[in-house]
Amino acid sequence: MKKFIKHSVLFFVIFFIAEKSAYFISNASEREYDKRLEYVINGKMNKDLIILGSSIGASNILAGQIENETGLTAYNLSYPGSNVLFHEFILKSLLKFNNSPKTIILTIDNPSEFIEEKTLKYRSDRLYPLAKYNYINNELINQNEKNFMSKLFCLARLNTSVFKFDKIKTPIENPIDSSGSMPFIKKTSTIEMEFLEEVKGYTIKFELKEKLRAFKSIQKLCADNNIQLIFVFSPNYQKFNAAFEKRFQQLMLDENKIMVYDTLNPIYKNKDFYYDVSHLMKNGASIFTAEISTFIKTN
Amino acid sequence: MLFNSIDFAVFLPIVFLLYWFVTQSNLKLQNLLLVAASYIFYGWWDWRFLSLIIFSSLIDYFIGVVLLKENNPAKRKGLLWLSIVVNLGFLGFFKYYNFFADNFTKAFSFFGNEISANSLNIILPVGISFYTFQTLSYTIDVYNRKMEPTKDIISFLAFVSFFPQLVAGPIERAANLLPQFYKKRIFHFSKAVDGSRQILWGFFKKIVIADNCAEYANLIFNNADDYSGSTLVIGAVFFTFQIYADFSGYSDIAIGTSRLFGFDLKQNFAFPYFSRDIAEFWRRWHISLSTWFRDYLYIPLGGSKGPLKMKVRNIFIIFIVSGFWHGANWTFIFWGFLNALYFLPLLLKNRNRHHLGIVAQHTNLPSIREFFAMSLTFGLTVFAWIFFRSPSISDAFSFIKNIFTKSLFQIPEIRPSYLILLIGCFIFIEWVGRTQKYALEKLLLNKPMALRWAFYMLLIACIFIFSSNEQEFIYFQF
Repeated sequence: MKKFIKHSVLFFVIFFIAEKSAYFISNASEREYDKRLEYVINGKMNKDLIILGSSIGASNILAGQIENETGLTAYNLSYPGSNVLFHEFILKSLLKFNNSPKTIILTIDNPSEFIEEKTLKYRSDRLYPLAKYNYINNELINQNEKNFMSKLFCLARLNTSVFKFDKIKTPIENPIDSSGSMPFIKKTSTIEMEFLEEVKGYTIKFELKEKLRAFKSIQKLCADNNIQLIFVFSPNYQKFNAAFEKRFQQLMLDENKIMVYDTLNPIYKNKDFYYDVSHLMKNGASIFTAEISTFIKTN
Repeated sequence: MLFNSIDFAVFLPIVFLLYWFVTQSNLKLQNLLLVAASYIFYGWWDWRFLSLIIFSSLIDYFIGVVLLKENNPAKRKGLLWLSIVVNLGFLGFFKYYNFFADNFTKAFSFFGNEISANSLNIILPVGISFYTFQTLSYTIDVYNRKMEPTKDIISFLAFVSFFPQLVAGPIERAANLLPQFYKKRIFHFSKAVDGSRQILWGFFKKIVIADNCAEYANLIFNNADDYSGSTLVIGAVFFTFQIYADFSGYSDIAIGTSRLFGFDLKQNFAFPYFSRDIAEFWRRWHISLSTWFRDYLYIPLGGSKGPLKMKVRNIFIIFIVSGFWHGANWTFIFWGFLNALYFLPLLLKNRNRHHLGIVAQHTNLPSIREFFAMSLTFGLTVFAWIFFRSPSISDAFSFIKNIFTKSLFQIPEIRPSYLILLIGCFIFIEWVGRTQKYALEKLLLNKPMALRWAFYMLLIACIFIFSSNEQEFIYFQF
């Protein structure tokens, strides 16, 4: 028995020491093309204006242009495919490691901001390459993606992304620019689009409590930190869903502002300005961004 | 409590230390500790269902005691039926009530009579199919006078609830496991090391192979309409490895854990995917269940004796019942039926006991003939698993229909290279260790300890790296 216990202890001590070498191979973040989150947790995101949202925010709003037009330093922290829970996490991280911005622009996914939507999720995959940071690892534990063993063992912080040795390629259609935006600069495939004149109504019963909570939390965080919060509704190649906007207004606090694109502008009915139904090409994004800049300057 | 949980990682060393250091001098106390630990292990999931195990154990214990004194055949038969009705009654209620209620409703409405049967919101107690069969086999053996009933109630409670194998087997026979509770266990270094090695291999199978295969198999099976035929084949193959690695991984952890406590459980899997025909596959897959059905259903029905018609009937009965044991769904019944169909040609040609040995036992590689036989058996098994995995028979047929399209010859949309590499390594290790009870049993034993430990550490590293959330074992649902 003693021999067994001695061997077991020795085995685990050697393992415990040897596994620490995993820290040095956990360099997944170095191969990452998108380093925006790492800038956030390293405190390199001290800007006047930050844009949060999903792919709509990433591609339809040009932070660099806002900088030029308003004189505010701006950066885009929108993540394609992310939902409001992830936006909440980005905002919390931003406030934890950086100075509070003066303004936050939150792009709203109309009408799927609060309901179940397969294409919008909590982007844990964006956290995995940064798991060597305790803060990120704790968040992965909160998200049930890792267990508390990852606090003790470096190996438990690794995942399959570590073994993709090739550098993640720059997206050809919408590379990240120097201000964090991801405008569509070319179309590699042709998507047939018809302008939808009729849109479905909006049903509250499909709303998810967790998403409503995250939305509330974003508003509270901004209020507590004296941040001006602007909700932005971006153009779609379809009629504007006013039913959702009406519901949205019930959920937003009075002190926050809402900015809806100019629904009468004929440009937003021209498919040449669109990449697909929800995403503008860079020329369309530039027109929409100019609207936002004007809104900021006049409010 | 899941084996692959932090809870178990804390629970096991505590029980182990109490078992060997505190209670070793007193056998009764040691067995009592095992009963308590087993109930905690089970109750961790849902303590309410502990009463079911305790009730089932007590019924069979007292029936056993009465059977010892009772010589009247009619009364003895009555006692046996009491045990069968109680045990299968619980199983039937918790597992099959809704299935029968739904199907009766559908059958009546098909003939124009609308009836409404109430579906109940029933939680299936984890492991009920396993411990029911275990305790039932005890009563049947006692009734058939194949074994002496026990008078030691603590040992009997420990036998029914023994935590390593309580929720997903192996389904132990009383004749093998119960006497081990009567004897003082002595700690053997080699046995404990061997048990630890088997536990490690079980975790590797479960966490690295099964859980990673599950991720892709679920994705493909849940969105079957969106993928090409070639991707659906990949999905079916991933599920094939998932179910094997998941279930045999559980068995390895169960057997290994038992060895840490000085117990020997029976081998439950013997490298079934290296089988050369379906009969051999069924001698190597879930052995404890196959032999249970053989001894308590197939042989009492006449087995392979008697006219051909009866043999065929018995084969279909045993496979269909075995399918139904897995779950209350027509998919499992069809899966059993399909396996009976696979088995039929072997039975008709009297070749169902053709491959009793180990494939390529004295060579490193199989012959071409063996290789093709293994590939064919594997292919048939993959096909059958489609029914097992699909939510309904129509979903399974739709899945198969989508496979056999032009897109079968496209490059699959999903082809995770890391997982394919891991499965390749897994097959290699299993092939090398196919003559043993589990793949790691003798692997590298004649090499220096440093090399062996490095290999074990590599396996642990894989477990850390490729683990995601705690995933339940598939067979928990059965």
